[in-house]
Amino acid sequence: MIDFIQMIVSGVATGSTYALMGLAMVIIYKTSEVPNFAQGEMALITSYFAMMLLTTMNISVYLAFFISFAFAAILGAFLEFVILRRAKEPNVLGMIVITIGIEMVLLGFVSWKFGAEEKTMPFPIGPYDGFIVGGIYISKLDVLTLISALFFMIVLYLFFKFSKLGLAMKATQQNSVAAQIVGIKTNRIMMMTWGISSLVGATAGLLISPTVMQPFMMWDPMLKGFAAAVMGGMTSLPGAVIAAYMLGIIENLFGGYISIEFKTVVAFAIIVLVLCVKPSGLFARHYVKKV
Amino acid sequence: MKKRLMFVLFVSLTFLLSFTPGLFAEEGVTDTEIHIGSYGPQTGPAAAWGAVPRGTSGYFKWINDNGGIHGRKLVYHMFDDGYNPAKTKAGVKELQEGTGIFAWAGGVGTSPGLAIKGYLAKKNVPWVGPATGSREFVNPPQKNLFAVYPLYEGEAKVLVNYAIETMGKKRVAIAYLNDGYGKNGLRGALTSLKSHGMESVAQVPFEAKDSDLKPHIMKLRQAKPDMVLLWITPGQAAKVVGISKAMKFDTQFMSVSTCSDFIFMNAITKGAWEGVITGTFGEVPDSKLPLMAKYKKEIFDKYAAKEERWGIFYYAGILFVEPMIEGLKAAGRDLTREKFITAMENIKGFKGVGPEVNFTPYKKGDIYSRQGTSQTFLVQCLKNGKSKRLTGLIDTK
Repeated sequence: MIDFIQMIVSGVATGSTYALMGLAMVIIYKTSEVPNFAQGEMALITSYFAMMLLTTMNISVYLAFFISFAFAAILGAFLEFVILRRAKEPNVLGMIVITIGIEMVLLGFVSWKFGAEEKTMPFPIGPYDGFIVGGIYISKLDVLTLISALFFMIVLYLFFKFSKLGLAMKATQQNSVAAQIVGIKTNRIMMMTWGISSLVGATAGLLISPTVMQPFMMWDPMLKGFAAAVMGGMTSLPGAVIAAYMLGIIENLFGGYISIEFKTVVAFAIIVLVLCVKPSGLFARHYVKKV
Repeated sequence: MKKRLMFVLFVSLTFLLSFTPGLFAEEGVTDTEIHIGSYGPQTGPAAAWGAVPRGTSGYFKWINDNGGIHGRKLVYHMFDDGYNPAKTKAGVKELQEGTGIFAWAGGVGTSPGLAIKGYLAKKNVPWVGPATGSREFVNPPQKNLFAVYPLYEGEAKVLVNYAIETMGKKRVAIAYLNDGYGKNGLRGALTSLKSHGMESVAQVPFEAKDSDLKPHIMKLRQAKPDMVLLWITPGQAAKVVGISKAMKFDTQFMSVSTCSDFIFMNAITKGAWEGVITGTFGEVPDSKLPLMAKYKKEIFDKYAAKEERWGIFYYAGILFVEPMIEGLKAAGRDLTREKFITAMENIKGFKGVGPEVNFTPYKKGDIYSRQGTSQTFLVQCLKNGKSKRLTGLIDTK
């Protein structure tokens, strides 16, 4: 029984990282209908930036994180402004290819600039700090990741539901031309969306970094976050988070009781299944464009 | 008219022959240069092992600055294959058929190496010190390939033997990477267990890109082992040991030589690596061996990039090709591949910063005619990444 509960707890912990990445992807998708495959590497470069601040400038972790969050937001806005907005006659496929291109450039840059050897980022909570409750191990870092994921989910949900800016973002996704007609500066909205998304993704990166940092560290969380976002319906923030936790728990139970070898692919098998049974995802209500 | 024709023919022949230097000289060898090829991941998931070809590069620069070999400089052609066998094959073919390489040195990884093994054998291009201890490189042995890295299989056997015979362990679990590297370790561990009339209590496969390792640790814990052999990547091994200790999963961890850089492992586990026992294919980074100190001072300090670290992967790049330099020296000024291979076959009792190297003339079916090293020793990580030598050199055969 202890093993079963430990697997659930581990699944929730893993799911929190997926949830943050899933949320970040959903934010951009909600306004542009583009899955951003550079999401992981945007978080990666922010994490290495924080590491650089901590190791070379010798500033406090809190200040370094604050500057890094600002860096993440600026990076997202910058990429949108300098690269994506310049795409001529953009269509979704073209934009996806551009995000893959950005992903490769950022990954290459991090490998070149910071090297490929594993590192750990100094952080007030150690990677293996935790407590044992009734034989169940709970990592403090995992608790912090869980809190961050739930915090962002609630804040973003309220933001999209009740704020003017959130409404403008929704309008931009549903009909960009109509949004412009009613006075929404859609370019600015897109830029802000990328900034917010980058910040949310960077949180995942920064919380992974105290354990092990290496240039490929965001690959798996990004893919699983994307899988969760697809399962959740790509436009639903709570959907992405719930799906991320489901994915984390299923992966852990599957690895523990069925096959550890196929643990990684189970996420993608679930996506195929969900897309076959409910193509719009488990939690999304799709807006239908009327002619 | 006839004289004129002869003259035209002479000029034409001279012109044509200027494009075919290989007709008279050995491929990749000129009056002043020897062209050596290598590859290794500078990007991608295995990029941490990319320090191996960079170490080789520093070593060759040092050789050149000390006069080269019989008046020739080594020209080192290294490319980034991203640990992708398709890229390895394309890159090796391009260099071999485009530039013309005399011999290959090092080359990181089992899968990339296996992608070019047959190609180089067919062309009979010498290859010394692939950076892998997989048995597939010497079984069956091939004339052109000289392996320096002790076999993973033998290393795993030594580790498990030590656990059972010296430490009295009875329940051995094996965590292995689900590829050639991991499976070679698994095979060696199972052989040792079988020879002691035992079986493993758990065999847990890892994929290279697995980042959530808690399910693997749970599997290991469920088996209640008193020793866990880790044949996975250094990053994964660090996570497994760190999380296990936090979970109060109290067992003896042992691991492969790729995880024997204790200063590094201790740093990324925040001290949790203390107590782990590994095999090692050469000296440890803080070794007091004079040759190690010399290499560090004259090669690493002089040629390594600022971000480079004097870690096991860097100096492994030296260790794997030290015998190649011995072979080139012994082959003499009149260098051909055949002479070089013969010189390599005559290497006996060579000692650099790795185990003793011995080769013998090629003999079909005798893997030790091409597997130059068969010794390892065990070390244990102490506080602050210091190491304690547990054994002398042990034969891995």
